[in-house]
Amino acid sequence: MKNIIELKDIHVSFDGEVILDHFNLAIKDKEFVTLLGPSGCGKTTTLRTIAGFVQPQEGRVLFEGQDISKLPAHKRQVNTVFQRYALFPHYNVYENIAFGLRISKTPEEEIEKRVKEMLALVNLKGYEKRNVSSLSGGQQQRVAIARALVNNPKVLLLDEPLGALDLKLRKGMQNELLRIQRQMGITFIYVTHDQEEALTMSDTVVVMKDGLIQQIGTPEDIYNEPANPFVADFIGESNIFGGKMIRDYLVEFEGIEFPCVDAGFGENVAVDVVVRPEDIEILDAQDGMLCGTVETVTFKGVHYEMMVRSDRFLWKIHSIKCREPGDKIAMKIIPEYIHIMKKEAGTVN
Amino acid sequence: MRKFFEKSYMALIFGFLYLPIAYLIFFSFNEGKSKVIFSGFTLKNYVNLFRDEEIMQALLNTLIIAAIASVVATVIGTMAAIGIQRLRKWQRNAVMNVTYIPVLNPDIITGVSLMLLFSIFGITLGYGPVLLAHITFNIPYVILAVMPKLRQVDSSIYEAALDLGASPALAFRKAILPQIMPGIISGFMMALTLSVDDFVITFFLKGVEVETLATMIYSTTKVRIDLSMNALCGVMVLVVLIILILANLPQKKSGNKKREERI
Ligand SMILES: Nc1ncnc2c1ncn2[C@@H]1O[C@H](COP(=O)(O)OP(=O)(O)O)[C@@H](O)[C@H]1O
Ligand SMILES: [Mg+2]
Repeated sequence: MKNIIELKDIHVSFDGEVILDHFNLAIKDKEFVTLLGPSGCGKTTTLRTIAGFVQPQEGRVLFEGQDISKLPAHKRQVNTVFQRYALFPHYNVYENIAFGLRISKTPEEEIEKRVKEMLALVNLKGYEKRNVSSLSGGQQQRVAIARALVNNPKVLLLDEPLGALDLKLRKGMQNELLRIQRQMGITFIYVTHDQEEALTMSDTVVVMKDGLIQQIGTPEDIYNEPANPFVADFIGESNIFGGKMIRDYLVEFEGIEFPCVDAGFGENVAVDVVVRPEDIEILDAQDGMLCGTVETVTFKGVHYEMMVRSDRFLWKIHSIKCREPGDKIAMKIIPEYIHIMKKEAGTVN
Repeated sequence: MRKFFEKSYMALIFGFLYLPIAYLIFFSFNEGKSKVIFSGFTLKNYVNLFRDEEIMQALLNTLIIAAIASVVATVIGTMAAIGIQRLRKWQRNAVMNVTYIPVLNPDIITGVSLMLLFSIFGITLGYGPVLLAHITFNIPYVILAVMPKLRQVDSSIYEAALDLGASPALAFRKAILPQIMPGIISGFMMALTLSVDDFVITFFLKGVEVETLATMIYSTTKVRIDLSMNALCGVMVLVVLIILILANLPQKKSGNKKREERI
């Protein structure tokens, strides 16, 4: 598949503060790509660079292989769903959606047909005459999506489109957005700071921190093979601690040697180890080597969350088995669930 | 208790502000020459007024100066407000403080200083200087009327219009202008009334030939006081009333129009 958008060595700084640091990203046609990272890491700036609202000091933006770095925003064939909708308050729903078509001088019958299609697509039939300020947040969001999609963009940029909606509405809209993306067959570049949203919706997740890409991969890759402690910590809950790679396929932590599936780090090299809370099995104390004492137990709906104190580390465990605080237990971790990462500065232990 | 104060406040307002005006207008219909004894109803003072060429010329001058000055000031003031809005915060505050100075400055200082300015450059006082002065003192009022509206506008709405393919000029016209229009209109109306109203600044800059209604009334009352002046006041009150009514009308109208407007 060819790349529809490429960011080549993009560098953006505001008032000397670096926001995007020599940023490289290639996005394939018809992909659902999510930019994921904590607030302030440069996600919006990346979208605005693609849309043409930010002029990077260095680097190029390619659209279908063509350099569009110098093209002003209104000439770019991408459309944006803005963070706070940015609907035109002085137009009704119909005129909001028709805006782009009127600019391009589309014939009136065509406009009517397309707006009707869009209203059907976003489930807002019969809302044509409504004032946008009389709509709920979710409905305004749908108008914003219809207004952007009516122009048949090849790429839709969405900046935290569900951020202002409540949890239940958000789940519903996630499914609708996926349906719309499949139905239209276009590329979505989606920004969120919600890791669960990113994992459930995307083909590709781009994890960012401080204007730098931390990892690019499928949701499975990102979750199962985090590239560094930041990604591991940001994507779901994790136990992250220091260990030592004895040799290939053998790692030592808590004074115990564990077989693992990673190789290529060298011998006797300090590494970071990640174990997901749900990947730790609870055994009776006498049945395992890695032992600890349960400190707290919290019921989380589907599972119990237990904090378990071992010799050197406080473990977070998710399990459907329940133990009491004070219980001595053993923890079993199979090799597939031990993720080894290159050591970085500033990790625990 | 509160009701009582509200009522007496209203009574005072009506008493001090409107009674003299009502009195003035009432006697503009007086048959006789007296300003104290009403001897019968007539429209002859008004007829005389409209026959008086000097007064008609002054009226025309007033309207032309006010119209041109307020239109030009509205355009410049609106553009200035947009520029100021885009400045950084401290720059914006600085410029806004400078904008307030002419508003707070006594008219007489504005008038005298402009007169000195024009004479330094050897420009003969008259129509041009009066017009320029009116434009100048109107601009801050337009800026002050437009700024609050502009501040309410979500800047991403302008970007949304660009994003949907509108050129910067079109995006401004389609996305920003309709939203700040009430501010522009009230700024324009304010400029119009200030211009029609102005005496002090015009007085210093008019030279010998140009007279507006205000300067005309002033110079006339020094020599003769007859009832056509009352009639003139009656006309001016009427004009101000009409402006007031117009100022309140267009918002409703443009609201309807906007909905039907097509790009
Ligand atoms: N126009 C701007 N001027 C100055 N700083 C900005 C501007 N836009 C964004 N920033 C800064 O850039 C950083 C990244 O912002 P942003 O891209 O919005 O992050 P995110 O969307 O990931 O939360 C923030 O620290 C923000 O303060
Ligand atoms: Mg953002």
